[in-house]
Amino acid sequence: MMTIIVAVAVILVIIAGSQLLKIAELRAQSKGELIYEVSEKEAKFQGILMLVFFISFMAFFAWQMCSWYGLRLPVSASVHGVDTDWLTGLTYIIITPTFILTNGILFFFCYKYSYSSTRKATFFSHSNKLEAAWTTAPALVLTVLILYGLSSWNAIMTPIPDETDHITIELTGQQFTWTARYAGEDKKLGRSHVTLIEGVNATGVDADDENAKDDKIVKGEFHLPIGMPVQFVFRSLDVLHSAYFPHFRSQMNCVPGITTQFNFIPTITTEEMRKITNNEKFNYVLLCNKICGAAHYNMQMDIVVESQEDYDKWLAEQKTFVE
Amino acid sequence: MTTVTVENINYKEEIRRKTSKPLMWMGIVSIIMFFGGLTSAVIVSQGGGSFLSIEMPFSFTISTFVIILSSLAFHVGLISINKGSYTIAKISVLITLLLGCLFVVTQYMGWVALYESGVYATGNQSTQESSFIYLLTALHVVHLIGGLVSLIVVLVKTMKQKYSLDNSLGMQVSITYWHFLGGLWIFLFFFLRYTIA
Amino acid sequence: MSTHHHHAKDFLFTYIFSTDHKMISKQFLVTGFLMGFLGLIMSTLFRLQLGWPGESFEMIEMLMGSWQEGGVMSPDKYLALVTMHGTIMVFFLLTAGLSGTFSNLLIPLQIGARDMASGFLNMLSYWFFFISCMLMLASLFVEGGAASAGWTIYPPLSALPEAIPGSGAGMTLWLVSMSIFIVSSLLGSLNYIVTIFNLRTKGMSMTRLPLTIWAFLLTAILGVLSFPVLLAAALLLVFDRSFGTSFYLSDIYIGGQVLDHTGGSPILFEHLFWFLGHPEVYIVLLPALGITSEIISTMSRKPIFGYRAMIGSMMAIAFLSFIVWGHHMFLTGMNPFLGSVFTFTTLLIAIPSAVKVFNYLTTLWKGNIVFTPATMFSVGLVSTFISGGVTGLILGNSALDINVHDTYFVVGHFHIVMGLSAIFGMFAGVYHWFPKLFGRMMNNKLGNIHFWITIVCAYGVFFPMHFLGFAGVPRRYYTNSEFPMFNEMIDINVFISICAIIALVGQLVFFFNFVYSAFRGPRAPQNPWKGNTLEWTAPVEHFHGNWYGEIPAVYRWPYDYSKVNAAGEYVYGEDYIPQTTPLGDDEKDGGEH
Ligand code: HEM
Ligand SMILES: [Cu+2]
Ligand SMILES: [Cu+2]
Repeated sequence: MMTIIVAVAVILVIIAGSQLLKIAELRAQSKGELIYEVSEKEAKFQGILMLVFFISFMAFFAWQMCSWYGLRLPVSASVHGVDTDWLTGLTYIIITPTFILTNGILFFFCYKYSYSSTRKATFFSHSNKLEAAWTTAPALVLTVLILYGLSSWNAIMTPIPDETDHITIELTGQQFTWTARYAGEDKKLGRSHVTLIEGVNATGVDADDENAKDDKIVKGEFHLPIGMPVQFVFRSLDVLHSAYFPHFRSQMNCVPGITTQFNFIPTITTEEMRKITNNEKFNYVLLCNKICGAAHYNMQMDIVVESQEDYDKWLAEQKTFVE
Repeated sequence: MTTVTVENINYKEEIRRKTSKPLMWMGIVSIIMFFGGLTSAVIVSQGGGSFLSIEMPFSFTISTFVIILSSLAFHVGLISINKGSYTIAKISVLITLLLGCLFVVTQYMGWVALYESGVYATGNQSTQESSFIYLLTALHVVHLIGGLVSLIVVLVKTMKQKYSLDNSLGMQVSITYWHFLGGLWIFLFFFLRYTIA
Repeated sequence: MSTHHHHAKDFLFTYIFSTDHKMISKQFLVTGFLMGFLGLIMSTLFRLQLGWPGESFEMIEMLMGSWQEGGVMSPDKYLALVTMHGTIMVFFLLTAGLSGTFSNLLIPLQIGARDMASGFLNMLSYWFFFISCMLMLASLFVEGGAASAGWTIYPPLSALPEAIPGSGAGMTLWLVSMSIFIVSSLLGSLNYIVTIFNLRTKGMSMTRLPLTIWAFLLTAILGVLSFPVLLAAALLLVFDRSFGTSFYLSDIYIGGQVLDHTGGSPILFEHLFWFLGHPEVYIVLLPALGITSEIISTMSRKPIFGYRAMIGSMMAIAFLSFIVWGHHMFLTGMNPFLGSVFTFTTLLIAIPSAVKVFNYLTTLWKGNIVFTPATMFSVGLVSTFISGGVTGLILGNSALDINVHDTYFVVGHFHIVMGLSAIFGMFAGVYHWFPKLFGRMMNNKLGNIHFWITIVCAYGVFFPMHFLGFAGVPRRYYTNSEFPMFNEMIDINVFISICAIIALVGQLVFFFNFVYSAFRGPRAPQNPWKGNTLEWTAPVEHFHGNWYGEIPAVYRWPYDYSKVNAAGEYVYGEDYIPQTTPLGDDEKDGGEH
């Protein structure tokens, strides 16, 4: 029934629309006008709408900033994240005015120069000076951004040297869970391979490898000590995943067949972050950020950042691989 | 109507004359990019290191000579058309075609030899290298079959004496493609030799 | 009887297997739009899920039938829809639909040729496209559903049916369809390039070509150079999926067992894919930029500012687009030095892009802008090109990309800069050249309404996505409700979804206008917009060969609008001087005074 009513309504609208168009055309004809010719009045009106649109667009932008900007990620909880946030801020300082200004000029011109039968357009076809100016200006700005960008990129991507005190954690992605493995006392991860997966050994750690004996495997949640460089090694058992730590401004793909790596230094404990965000239930979380199957949207693991003592205590409670 | 209508201007012939060869060339460019993609894939895969080396079958070397000869024969065909000697032209095109078929045969023999020496295209005993060697050569043969079809058309037209000094466009296009296929094979031959084999 | 037979044959060769570029153009347009409309409906369906997760919708049940009993979308069907939406929009609507329509229509008409280099290949190009559309749509109905690995179909997800149901028959059809699509696209591109280089009329030198033609030329060159590589990538994937090779697969444990594949690498696929994938965004964008350059100049009654700079910047963009593909792969564990190189090349693209924007603005400056719907959409394109372009500076910078990669920030960015810009360009082109396509005029009022609904809703949909990105919301998530940290996002999602629904309804205005005008719109005069380019010298009615008698010769560049002499009067009494008007004694060509 509903369908029939809708169908009838649609047909009526179409017929009515066609009639209206026809009538409009005939009316224009009777006045000796062509319906598709844009009158001065119409052009002016659209010109004003352009300006109105620009103003509303900016109001919309401002409204979004007020209502939604507050939802952004809290301050970076890693050392390098502070840098990248700073550079992001710098980029915004450059692009926001550019965005507003160029859009403004665009819509203002549309308003200002809308068609008038009495005005002549100015024949202005090129100017080497102007063109040179707006080639160089972006080039200069970009030079700054590229230089800053590359220096932080290189700093972030350099692996932690062995001499530096750090912990090593292997994260393995698998449809649709994460597993963390701590390198243990010897600070060395044991070998692992998919062919060794068997029963409880869900990530295929090589039991014959000396380095693997003291490795500790945890699921559900893993802990990090504050201020300590963490060297992550990523693996995947099946498809591509991506280990995304939004609060630490870190991300790296997990690729089956190879290992990838990333490191960061956590700087804010979970407790402190709860205070900062004013949210009792706040938790750092690791997400999957590369489409990996039906439950991709729910592949997560909690992260707890705590003091060195708490961390040591927690780690001591975890079982080693051989146990 | 008294105006000149388009129908009485034979523009189609003119368009064909102006564009057949460029179309072939652009086609060749896209085929080059296709094989370019695949050969870069070989190089990227080998970035990983470990690869076993595969013995190139001897019949691939024979293929190389066969295809060079066939290109030469085709060229002789074109020259004789321009000179008006149809008999030689017919024979040369026929020889080209036969050599083209022989090329396919030698390729096949090459695959058999590979297979017998334990180099597999697919399955768990295959490696990327072993798959690539079959794939690249087979894809070349696929393109070559297009060339063979065009050769048959050229042969029929030569038989019917359709070509002449100023009307050999079809043959020229076909020859361009055929030389290209020859060049492509030679490239693949050396490429495979120095990357995989 | 025999005349009847003759008619049937006529019909077949005029409307179906036509080799005439104008008919083929219309075929591409209609097919492309229908596909685009389906893509749009898909996006609305999954927007329902994102706005009101887990709720049941009659619309979903009605449209998806037994797929989604109860009207609640399931996660794998969500991914299937997202994948199909992306594929259809990028390839079917904005590659084939956009280039296919306007390259076919305008190349012969604007350079003064009677047809494409090869009408036959051109026809094949359309029919291959048609077949690939059918196969792509058919994949929605096979067991396991349509391909679900995202439009980028990264293996191993796309290679293993165990990993997601859509990677079974659906993915097979996707690959077959795309391979045919690539052949279609190549046939088209070869034709465009050769036509432009070889069939220009007398006097039509490369520096007198309208910018549309330059854009189509560069687009076609990008296509010829990059699509074959995607074909290669797809082929290797077919082998991995069906014949047991290991190009992309290695060390995989899935469904309780270890697979036989060893030695391959999914990264290889990413390289091959993005070698096409990045140029692809310019294949989508350049035609739109060319179209709007032409329209903005014509309708503001001014020469395009910086004709040569426009060509130069398009060339620069086209060239650079081949050496930036790595910016999609910063986080695949690639060598950091390589990442630096890609950051550098990527950010360079901002320079020619900025030049284009400033040139558009200067063209409007002191113009006399006639606001047809085509003009409005062109202005819309400049706006979206700016708004989407600026965020590229964040994404292209590898250090910053770490944190926004694959989040909704990206979705907002590419929809605005590529999706909206290209769609706006396409709409602009349709409104502007409708008289050439159908010999009738579209209705301006409805066109204006369509424009305002579209731009308002489009910004309403895609601007807020940046804020989701700031909060770290990943893309391709079926719902954000599983993470407490995203609880507050629901407002934004509802807002976006409502805008998306209104946008969909707004497009109905366009479709009505389109269909009505094609059949009953007022008849078009030969040169309704007082344009300079050659297509407006051709008769309104369509026939093979485009011009009766000789093809007109060309004597000047296409942008002599409002050219005045020393006395400040229009040189030839009108504010436009068609390219066919010989240069006067004291006149210079190319915008020189
Ligand atoms: C009003 C119209 C549209 C809406 C509401 C819309 C909405 C969306 C949304 C929400 C997503 C992300 C889904 C997710 O990540 O879970 C998406 C993905 C996408 N859209 Fe659109 N879109 C629209 C039009 C377009 C257009 C015109 C294009 C053309 C370029 C386009 C191309 C894409 C692509 C390439 C993807 C990525 C698909 C993937 O992740 O594999 N969309 N769309
Ligand atoms: Cu995952
Ligand atoms: Cu890109």
